[in-house]
Amino acid sequence: MGVIRVAGLRKTYGTVNSVDGMAFDVDRGEVYGFLGPNGAGKTTTIRVLTGQIEPDAGDVSVLGTDPVADPIETRRQVGILPEQESPPSFLTPREYLAFVGKVRGLDPDRVAERTDAWAERLGFESKLDTLHTDLSRGQQQKVMIAQAFVHEPDVVFIDEPLANLDPLVQEQVKRFLVSYAADDNAVFVSTHNIDVAEEICTRVGIVADGQLVAERSLADDPTDESLLDLFLDRVEGEDARDTPALEQLQT
Amino acid sequence: MSGPKTTDRAIGADADRSDAGLSTPRLLAILFREEWRLHTQLFGGWRFALFPFVIALLTVSATVALVETGTAPGTVVGGLHVLTVGFGLYSGTAGFAGSDMLENVFGRLSLLLSSSTTLPLSRRRLLGAFLLKDGLFYAIAFVLPMSLGGLAVDGLSTPPLSIGLFWLSLSLVFAVGMATTVALIAVRTRGVPSWVIGLGIGLAVIGGWATGRLGPVRSVLVPIDGPPAAAGGLAVGTLAVAAGSLAVYDPTYGRPSRTASDRFARISDALPLADAPLVTKSLLDLARSSGGVWKPFVSASILLALVAALVGVVDSITGVAPAPGVFFGGVLGLSAFTTYNWLTQFDSLEAYLTYPISIADVFRAKRIAFVLVGAPAVAVPYLAAVVWFDATLVDAVVGAVLLAGYALYYYGLTVYIAGFDPNEFLFDAVRFATFTVGVAVPLVPTLVAGFVVVPPSATLAVALALGGIVVGLVGLVLSSRAGPRWDARYRTE
Repeated sequence: MGVIRVAGLRKTYGTVNSVDGMAFDVDRGEVYGFLGPNGAGKTTTIRVLTGQIEPDAGDVSVLGTDPVADPIETRRQVGILPEQESPPSFLTPREYLAFVGKVRGLDPDRVAERTDAWAERLGFESKLDTLHTDLSRGQQQKVMIAQAFVHEPDVVFIDEPLANLDPLVQEQVKRFLVSYAADDNAVFVSTHNIDVAEEICTRVGIVADGQLVAERSLADDPTDESLLDLFLDRVEGEDARDTPALEQLQT
Repeated sequence: MSGPKTTDRAIGADADRSDAGLSTPRLLAILFREEWRLHTQLFGGWRFALFPFVIALLTVSATVALVETGTAPGTVVGGLHVLTVGFGLYSGTAGFAGSDMLENVFGRLSLLLSSSTTLPLSRRRLLGAFLLKDGLFYAIAFVLPMSLGGLAVDGLSTPPLSIGLFWLSLSLVFAVGMATTVALIAVRTRGVPSWVIGLGIGLAVIGGWATGRLGPVRSVLVPIDGPPAAAGGLAVGTLAVAAGSLAVYDPTYGRPSRTASDRFARISDALPLADAPLVTKSLLDLARSSGGVWKPFVSASILLALVAALVGVVDSITGVAPAPGVFFGGVLGLSAFTTYNWLTQFDSLEAYLTYPISIADVFRAKRIAFVLVGAPAVAVPYLAAVVWFDATLVDAVVGAVLLAGYALYYYGLTVYIAGFDPNEFLFDAVRFATFTVGVAVPLVPTLVAGFVVVPPSATLAVALALGGIVVGLVGLVLSSRAGPRWDARYRTE
């Protein structure tokens, strides 16, 4: 049984159908890639699944909780790395992770241990006492990754996990996500980056215009068609491969 | 073709000459269009377009009320100038996206201000044009309706006033306010510490007061009452300060990374509250951002200074002085708005939605933080006012009850109407009008009572105190309902 279940999900903003009949399941052990262009409905879907907004229609459940009826319980059980940059905060990373631990009801000593472990893993030990607002975007992203995992959730929702990270840390994060899912958890990754999806995901759902237009298992279902080709076919049709000639732009 | 040539020239030139391809009028036109687009897109066209009419209506209403209750027209004119200077001081910060608050408010919103890093435009020139645009925009959208409103009342025209002159006079002092703020920020970018700037301002005010030179300052800041030469001098001086500030301003100024010892756990553990982590975060954000924990205190003190100056002017002209406790208790409660504004500048409601907490939890924590910060911030100016103006004990006690009750009410009203974005009052006519009416309902009768019965009789004192308690309870209810109200709005957006 899927730990994330979505059926007939719809969400409109005014006259725009942001999500239009989305349906998929995600099981434990999976890194599920949610792949699509800007405005495809990826972030809206994550916001519904984490109880941040209510859908217009559809059934969703995460770890057996209902994000619509009981969003607090859903958010208690999952980890969330939002896409938008965090607002300027004047807490240090050490204080911020203690704050997250407190609102999640974790033991402070345990949080302190995990803070040190995450700082070492992602290389921000020297920044633990620097105000968050004075960190670089990459360092801020590292702290946000740590907060998403600090309570060791069974399901984690991640919007663009590698944004602003340097190549070394990207590799570490990719390896960690794969191993975390393999440990009987589920990682839901929303991304534009096809290479990243191909590298770390066990299964990919391709989203366009608020709908899931294709799904592919990457773990044990090799095909001749590359993920990029599948993406271009399903998102824009065959014409997408014939990218606009750059010469046309050279005015 | 001229296009490629312009581009080549721009790329090859240095930062300050590279923007020669874009004329200043064209740049200003683009900035104006963006300003209009920003407001109309954010708040809905008609809600923003209605704003000048609301300002005119409020100015007319207030002026009529003041004149009809015996306030001299000259005092009203002076009061409008004081308000406009204050607005100018506030508006002067808008071009400087470097401060913590403005980075949050404008930094990631304003493509215009950040465009100097990607376009062949120097930061200094763009900033100058941005501030000029702001000055002109607000002079038309905000100051003009104020002048129209003021002149709509018979009897206001002491010397030969005209709408144009009155508007020019108000616009000039608005520019004075803007230029002053710009100058202070420019000096700050040259490494002068904030406390030195604050000390300098404080010493200047005290020195001016001690030597009796504040009177001439007052006459200079109401140009329409003075000789044209004085107004001309003020205009030239303002231009000089503005130009000098832009020259002094260091666009590359950046504060070094700051570190802090772990205070979160200590404060959070010390607060015996379920929402202690959220409250602690708000307090630390406030204390560590630019200006520190003193910001709400300074805001309340500025309000005190403005109102005290107005009371002094009214007293000197009409011989009527209000009961200080009742008067200052009612008015200083308005600092609730600025205190709450400071408490919401450094986070966003959306950011909290990734944690297992409700929006109601966040609002409840903000209310506790508001009480912890707002109470001392307003108590000190209030005590100063009742001591300085020699309030009776009954008056002071009643004023204190009014202060607490009204501050809680204004807070509840702000949170209920504006949620996490109290700044939107400044651009949304409907919200601004609702808030203003909500404030006026208890405040106007209180101020009238404070002027009519001096010192307050026992009956009036009891009635006002009871009124303060009731109004405070209303504020409590409003702030309690704000959580569910905004939760529903955010989740069903």
